[in-house]
Amino acid sequence: MIRNFFIYLAVLIVGILFFASMVLFAIPAFQESTLALTGLSSSSSGSGEAGTDKQSIEADVNKLQKRLDSFTPTNAYMVVNTSDNHFFLYKGKQLIRDGVCSTGKNEKLVSAERKYEHVFYTPFGVRKVLRKATNPVWKKPDWAFIEDGMPIPSANDPSRWETGTLGAYKMEIGDGYMIHGTIYKRRMGMSVTHGCIRLLDDDLEAVYKAMEVGSKVYIY
Amino acid sequence: MKENSEEDFDSLFVENKRSGVKYIVIIIVLSVLTLTAIYAYLSVSSVRDRMKVAQVQAEGSPQINSSLLTQFKEKAWLESRIKMANGDSIGLSIDLEQRRIQLELKGVVILSSKIRDCSISGFFRKMDGNVYFAMFGTPLSIQQFKSSIAKNPFKIVEAPKDTIAAQAAADAAAKKDSLADENVFWTVKLDRGFDLDIQGIDSIAEAQKKYELGKGFEFERNLKNIASSFQHILRFSKPDYTPEILISIPENEAKAILRALPRNALVTIRI
Repeated sequence: MIRNFFIYLAVLIVGILFFASMVLFAIPAFQESTLALTGLSSSSSGSGEAGTDKQSIEADVNKLQKRLDSFTPTNAYMVVNTSDNHFFLYKGKQLIRDGVCSTGKNEKLVSAERKYEHVFYTPFGVRKVLRKATNPVWKKPDWAFIEDGMPIPSANDPSRWETGTLGAYKMEIGDGYMIHGTIYKRRMGMSVTHGCIRLLDDDLEAVYKAMEVGSKVYIY
Repeated sequence: MKENSEEDFDSLFVENKRSGVKYIVIIIVLSVLTLTAIYAYLSVSSVRDRMKVAQVQAEGSPQINSSLLTQFKEKAWLESRIKMANGDSIGLSIDLEQRRIQLELKGVVILSSKIRDCSISGFFRKMDGNVYFAMFGTPLSIQQFKSSIAKNPFKIVEAPKDTIAAQAAADAAAKKDSLADENVFWTVKLDRGFDLDIQGIDSIAEAQKKYELGKGFEFERNLKNIASSFQHILRFSKPDYTPEILISIPENEAKAILRALPRNALVTIRI
């Protein structure tokens, strides 16, 4: 009786295992192989697009490649990776410098008491250098005071103006965003800014000298 | 005539039970084989149906001379990237021939990563020129994103009430700056009926280890397949078949691409 029971059980287990392995491995593997499509006739194929031969297609390919290449700026441009906090400075397709940077902290600052909210992030897309300046003075916006737990002063209060915070150079890229230096060097390579792109002193100088007004900044 | 003893009666009973077990065993074996054969048939026919649909969709497009397929593929690849460059959004270009995956913005390559490992469904290997162009001749568009990590992580912070609270918050933030160990894998549904799966791995050994631990993309996918398979078997219906392209790239790049791509981004693929 016991022997029969074990035979029955063994057959049942082998059957289940066989079925499971077929369903989970063998059949999907067969589906993913080209064997599943064996013998299926291909869709009607003609003798080629009207007026096309190898030379004309190759000429088209060359033309298209040139067109695609023309999208890459010939002067200096910058690529900023906000995920790794790394920047790349190119001229044409040649990388001339890269290094660590800091970008937006992806944070929304809210103050229920003051009925205020502000989002800190570095926007993705392509921007242009609109203005350049040396030894910039930073006019602290309202969020800088709210973040520090301080009362907001009037628009032209002297406490709003700070020298040295932005480093030796700044490049404005629109909507209040800038590429600038920092005094918080320990936090470079981290997503800690209010949306601007911070660079180390040497990198900032190299970028400032290479980039002109109109140079592009690609941010992702 | 011999009279049946008690012992003889029992032996007859055992004999009957043995033949009963035999029949049960035969029934189980036959059921398993039948179910397997039916499921195999339904699975294969779903792949073939998918190809037939793709062929019907390709009928309207210009006929491709198979001897010039390589040149046509190159042309389609460039045309598709130029179309993508005309938009303002970041797009993804995947060149399985050169094993490269790139982020492009306005025609400029802003991230380029070497593909470490790649597997594609047999469906793509069996495509003829016409189906290829119907599928990859123009940029594809992302329909749906699923990822193991947040696509756009954002946190809401309550402004401090005074300078002491501000200093405490700044100190706490500084302590949290260590990088978290994350498993990065994401999948997108593309508008031409197939899936693109991206897995972040820094080595093949690491990917295998992740699979064993159940944290890898393929493990999750197999788990889903189990559930789906059994549902179809019970209903005797054709399982859904979605061709897939699975790409493995370094983890930080898989994360950067996920975060950079808009939800409806365009994708150009060359196989």
